[in-house]
Amino acid sequence: MSAVRGEGTPWRAALPFARIGFLNMLAFRARYYVGVLTYLFNVAVYYFIWRAVFRQGGSVAGMTLEDMVTYVAVGWAIRSFYFNEIDRELGTQVQEGKLAMNLIRPVDFQTVMIADAAGQSAFRAVLFTIPIAIVLALVFPLKPPASPLAALLFLVSATLSFFLVAALNFLVGLVAIRSKSILGILRAKYLVFELLSGLLIPTTLFPQPLRSILFASPFPHINFTPAALYLGQAAGTRALGLLALQAGWTAGLLALGQYAWRRSRRRITIQGG
Amino acid sequence: MLYFSQYAKARLEYRLDFFSSVFASFLGTAAAFGFLLIVFSRVPAVHGWTFEEMVFLYGFSLIPLGIFNVLSWNLYLFSDRYLIEGRFDRVLVRPVNSIFQVLFEAFRLESLQESVTGIAAVVWASRKMGLSFSAPDVVLFVLWTFCGAAIYLAIFIGLTATSFWIEDRIGIVPPVFNLMQFGRYPLTIYDGWIRFTLSFVIPFAFASFYPVVHFLKRGEFAREFWAVPLIAAACLAIAWTIWDRGVRRYHSTGS
Repeated sequence: MSAVRGEGTPWRAALPFARIGFLNMLAFRARYYVGVLTYLFNVAVYYFIWRAVFRQGGSVAGMTLEDMVTYVAVGWAIRSFYFNEIDRELGTQVQEGKLAMNLIRPVDFQTVMIADAAGQSAFRAVLFTIPIAIVLALVFPLKPPASPLAALLFLVSATLSFFLVAALNFLVGLVAIRSKSILGILRAKYLVFELLSGLLIPTTLFPQPLRSILFASPFPHINFTPAALYLGQAAGTRALGLLALQAGWTAGLLALGQYAWRRSRRRITIQGG
Repeated sequence: MLYFSQYAKARLEYRLDFFSSVFASFLGTAAAFGFLLIVFSRVPAVHGWTFEEMVFLYGFSLIPLGIFNVLSWNLYLFSDRYLIEGRFDRVLVRPVNSIFQVLFEAFRLESLQESVTGIAAVVWASRKMGLSFSAPDVVLFVLWTFCGAAIYLAIFIGLTATSFWIEDRIGIVPPVFNLMQFGRYPLTIYDGWIRFTLSFVIPFAFASFYPVVHFLKRGEFAREFWAVPLIAAACLAIAWTIWDRGVRRYHSTGS
């Protein structure tokens, strides 16, 4: 986190970039109306699957059908918020040679990329996530947050998810720019992340030892952690522990991205020189 | 065919890059099977469908999808590449039908992986269930796979052709593309209006679900199974008409 917020000045310098990101979103409005429909379809598929699974009632891993549907809907709703394309953006900049512009700017590159994505996510939260959440709540039988505290923890966690995904995408982008078929890699990344983050299926349902391995990775914190906090599956110190772990991974991966960028930047400069 | 081998040669020039994109594409497919595996590690059957039957259905749906994905690359880029950049002029002066040129000028080769993985899944599931196929069954299987690919292609050609009228870069393609995933699971788990949509509005169910029910010998939906070629032909005819009208309406961007 410190790379983005802690140092006051770079964050303020980054604000115009966030504003541009927001305005760029406005220019492509049509995409987002279509997007609402797409999210509705995505939740619908999993709603019907889970309804079929729970046909005889009962619970799976301590979750009822209502819990499961809420989990799925909350997951896709926050995905509409934390989603960003930093990795693809990075790839395009390299291919089109725009990266040089970013090298001469006096603002840290990772901060610029994440601030731009933050602007887009702010736009999404207002004009995308909230309408999606309302539509989903009208169409599917969803539960409200377990408690006001759960709602608050959920909001904090969902915000952290954005920074976590941004940090991961920045790293993925740095790796992907070495390949010529960035788009193929990124398409696969979406599908793999959807499974590992707990978006498609709660991480607690994975069989052992996969479950333990996953919980020792940053992935469940993208989606499982905020959704579990919403449902009140973790409360009190356990909830705070989860949040701390999520924040820890986020800070660690942001720092790693910073380090990896410094290293590959040196190489890029030599190539261009 | 000539177009295809030329493109394949060009792609294979960058061998390592090609294999890494095949691998990435495979990881994505594997993640989708992972979902099924985890759900069924918790429950024995979903709506009367066993794990093996679901793998068969999912695998079968991947075979026409793979063929479609290999060919459809240019459909996504059509409005940008051909209409806005004006490449369509060049297409029109050539003696080959415009839609074939557009489909065959770029391929997403790595998506062949999906068909191969799908066949592997179908074979695995059939063995596991002790299903045996007679020679006519195999012929039907192959034919119905191509009908499925034709249905997918026709629907997206029809949608792409709308860009002759509407200058909308995003269009209606992504949500329809997302509708495809409904075809990977038993149609019977959905509510009536979704079943209706998938059968009669955007007939994805004819590309995966109805064929599979027959091959699994479940004894349902026999009528729909035999209607598959008719539906495929109807879709192609509609797509062809829309495309043709669009081409006649086309005016070059100039320059």
